Amino acid sequence: MAEVTEASASERKTDEEAASPPPSSVSYPNPSGAESPSSSSSSTPLPPSVARLWRPSAQRNLRNQWSKLASCRQQWTLSSSSGRSQATSLVNASLSQRYMPSMELGVLEDMPDIRKKACQKLFKQQELHGSKLVSSYRDMVAAVVNMITAMRSMRCYLKGGTSSPLVKFSTISEEKSDTGDGGGIPVFTFWSIPYFEKLAEELVEMFKSELCLKRLIVLELLSTGCEAPQLDHLNWSNALYSGEFNDLALCGLYSAETHDPLPPRLKGGKCDMPPVKRSSQASQETVQVYLTAWLAEVNIDTHRVHEIFAIVGEEIHFNFS
Amino acid sequence: MDAIVKKYQQKFRKAREEMDRWGELQARLVSQYRNALSIIERLPVIQESKNYGSLSCVDGIVEAVVGKQMESLEIILLSLNKTLEEFRGIVLSLEKILRDSRQLVKAGSGQLTVKQLQQRIGVKPTLQDCLDGLMLLRDMHQSEYILKSSIVSALPTLILRPRVGDLGALQQLLIDQPNIPKEEVEFIYDIIFAEDIC
Repeated sequence: MAEVTEASASERKTDEEAASPPPSSVSYPNPSGAESPSSSSSSTPLPPSVARLWRPSAQRNLRNQWSKLASCRQQWTLSSSSGRSQATSLVNASLSQRYMPSMELGVLEDMPDIRKKACQKLFKQQELHGSKLVSSYRDMVAAVVNMITAMRSMRCYLKGGTSSPLVKFSTISEEKSDTGDGGGIPVFTFWSIPYFEKLAEELVEMFKSELCLKRLIVLELLSTGCEAPQLDHLNWSNALYSGEFNDLALCGLYSAETHDPLPPRLKGGKCDMPPVKRSSQASQETVQVYLTAWLAEVNIDTHRVHEIFAIVGEEIHFNFS
Repeated sequence: MDAIVKKYQQKFRKAREEMDRWGELQARLVSQYRNALSIIERLPVIQESKNYGSLSCVDGIVEAVVGKQMESLEIILLSLNKTLEEFRGIVLSLEKILRDSRQLVKAGSGQLTVKQLQQRIGVKPTLQDCLDGLMLLRDMHQSEYILKSSIVSALPTLILRPRVGDLGALQQLLIDQPNIPKEEVEFIYDIIFAEDIC
């Protein structure tokens, strides 16, 4: 009765495998189209001698940052799937505990305090899986934080000004007039820095909104096996681990005005703020929905993610797989 | 005559390789089918917004979750059909092995007589045994392929009206492979390779 979610472990795998289309099916955006990258206006062109040196340096940096993005994505996938299996174990333990009073125990029935002991054990298991679930969530937060850092480090600035005899570059801006995008020239073949940033941002947005949703699911799952008095600290406004709100602030997912994490929402949708805690215990069906929602990663468009990495890989001559 | 029997045994070894590959595909097919079923079984639950608990505060969550699951289901159905296509490839190979082996007895000095076909030397199989065996193997796999395709093609109709009993029964049918009785297959091989057993 409690084993409601057994099959999804292998299914996850198949989903992932099957969800990646072959690279040949990727469509390329027209670089000279409306969203053309090289038309960024505000940047001033670099002197030709500097531009010649800027380009290899910017190329190296872009390759670095994009492979960071790719490894963050991998880290996310791993943490998400380990989180899912922790969540499944947590749910199974909590449902077993719930049904313990009515369970048929056969010859064990005569043992003193057998139900009580079993419940204690199941409770311990829930605590264990719960803390592992939180740590998976924490890893996912870290993945998103790292993605954002990579996204913000795509520009390549001149170090020491144009007058310096030695031309050096860094990812930190020293002068306001230096936009770090080489005056908007294509870094490799077609795209300028802002276009790479745009793609990275599209990617990051998906993971950010999925993170919010996962946070809500973690909170809900942690409270499935809890008695009423313990529920108080499992509130949307309380941090799941120490320092969580700092991390969320780095992701832009923490509102300084309300001192609350931003509510979960789908792309273009909205959400009541903050999510209301229900008083009753979640039904078995609801728990199944939570687990399915975790698995489904509704905010992450797998095809688009794959496509972004494929087209970027093509442009920067780098194979992400 | 002895030489022809040797050639036949070669054909049976080839058929064995094909059947081994069939076994690998079977494992893949069953796991894909299970995955599809677990989504289909969940569908009624995830389609009800009352089951969403706290998640219902997120606008459009039901459509999004159902949509994603349907997407995964579609992908699984595609891979199921791909696997079926590979099964068909094996049936075709067995067919070809059978055709080639019929050619063996026709080649050379014209049609062999019934007497020659049934001539037995020691524990060696008769040519008739060989031909019958290969035909039986082909028939078994062909019917099993047809059964599998019909089970898989029934899946989409189950999405609309999932009935837990039906789902389980179909899955069991897929696992059992009723058209390929293992003992019978082994029996055929025992006759063909009798000398190796003794």
